[in-house]
Amino acid sequence: MKCQKCKVNNATTQVKRIVNGAYEEYMLCADCAHEMGFDNVFDTAMPDMFGGLVKSLFGTALPSRSQATRCPSCGSTYGDITNTGKVGCAKCYTTFFSELLPSVKRIHGNTTHCGKRPNMALAEESVANQKEDQIGILKTQLNKAVEEQNFELAAELRDKIKEMEGK
Amino acid sequence: MKDPVVISSRIRLARNLRDYPFPCRMDDKQRTEVAEKVREALKNCDEKFMFVSMEDVNELDAVAMVERHLISPEFANSKAGRALAVTEDESISIMINEEDHLRIQVIKPGMSLREAYAIADRIDTELDKTLHFAFDNTLGFLTQCPTNLGTGMRASVMMHLCALADSRAVSRIASNLSKLGLAVRGTYGEGTDVSCALYQLSNQVTLGISEKSAIENLQNICTQLASSELQSRETLMQSMEYQDKISRSMGILLTARLISHAEAMKLLSNVRLGITEGIIDDVTIDAVDELMASIHPASLMRAQQRKLSPQERDKARAELIKATLR
Repeated sequence: MKCQKCKVNNATTQVKRIVNGAYEEYMLCADCAHEMGFDNVFDTAMPDMFGGLVKSLFGTALPSRSQATRCPSCGSTYGDITNTGKVGCAKCYTTFFSELLPSVKRIHGNTTHCGKRPNMALAEESVANQKEDQIGILKTQLNKAVEEQNFELAAELRDKIKEMEGK
Repeated sequence: MKDPVVISSRIRLARNLRDYPFPCRMDDKQRTEVAEKVREALKNCDEKFMFVSMEDVNELDAVAMVERHLISPEFANSKAGRALAVTEDESISIMINEEDHLRIQVIKPGMSLREAYAIADRIDTELDKTLHFAFDNTLGFLTQCPTNLGTGMRASVMMHLCALADSRAVSRIASNLSKLGLAVRGTYGEGTDVSCALYQLSNQVTLGISEKSAIENLQNICTQLASSELQSRETLMQSMEYQDKISRSMGILLTARLISHAEAMKLLSNVRLGITEGIIDDVTIDAVDELMASIHPASLMRAQQRKLSPQERDKARAELIKATLR
């Protein structure tokens, strides 16, 4: 889609606002958005910023550890998440944990929750579920590594699974 | 005496049901199910909620809700599968199926972040018993956008910083505050119109800092900001020019036959300052705050139950202001 102001560049910024009681929505290119002062004051600009952030982080970072391609629960790919800035479901955070962690750290300067916890019993249950999920993902990765004859990675994954199951 | 600087405090909690995908991945059936579950769960709360399906709300009412800070502009724009639960006094509202399954919001007048959080916390705990919110021991409450991970809490304080704005100190303060993890914006977040000197301060970081610490930080900063605003007001009030500006503002508000929203907000801001500084004594701060909230276009049209042309709105606004201030 072309920018609605200059009608030349591709639109990358969606602007939503209410003027005199009427809702307005339009698409702008980065230059026009900047010119009109819409490049950082709007909350709606956040997903793009986040997407860009994740990409820039992973451009230079080490390849990701978890090689899951799709969230088993909602079907989101990691690409879906970085493109929209929206995580698909609670399980995505387990599935793409290692990929998401650097951006979480960039956003909050921190990666460990501190504060209210819901009902403790439920929290413990979620830990157990999470561990099972993680083992499941590792096993899928192990099978894939064996298929691809990447035995070094396979051995590493096998040890990790053993360690997790042992605990 | 009402707080001369702090207008209101707001707490917002983002929560998601662990057994459903986040709103960006939900289908219509799931949206309806989530809304129905929330509606059932709310029956266990002490408060009495009105439950409104957004599909039944006309555009004018929806925009008026945005003007009253009950819902977000985005929520008003796309209404399918969305619902709002709100108490009669509108101090507690819950947006259902917005960016997260639930956005629990509590607004209280003056500096009352702790009080507002206590209410939000109690509702959250009650709802979690039946709804089971998505939570991870490391990342905290799980949210659709990673910027809300952790506590999922956004605390904000609305302040009238007219003297600091007049001395152009606000932008400098804003950039310093961002280093402390706080954001300063205009009243509506997205449309940063600050001609009326109403600013909203809020925490940005939600992961790795507890609700209590985040609230204390914000409250400390707001208290410091309020005292520096009061000092600046003292200096400002020594100028005869400014005193004149306040009296003239009152004069225009009392006599204008047509007045735009922007002009009215600016003048009301001056009048509010005049009241706190003892220059105007026959109008209350409450009356001014009430006007600031009710002279928005959609709210005016809603009060008259019909669409108004821009000129008709300016007329209705001028009349409402006159009737209230006299």
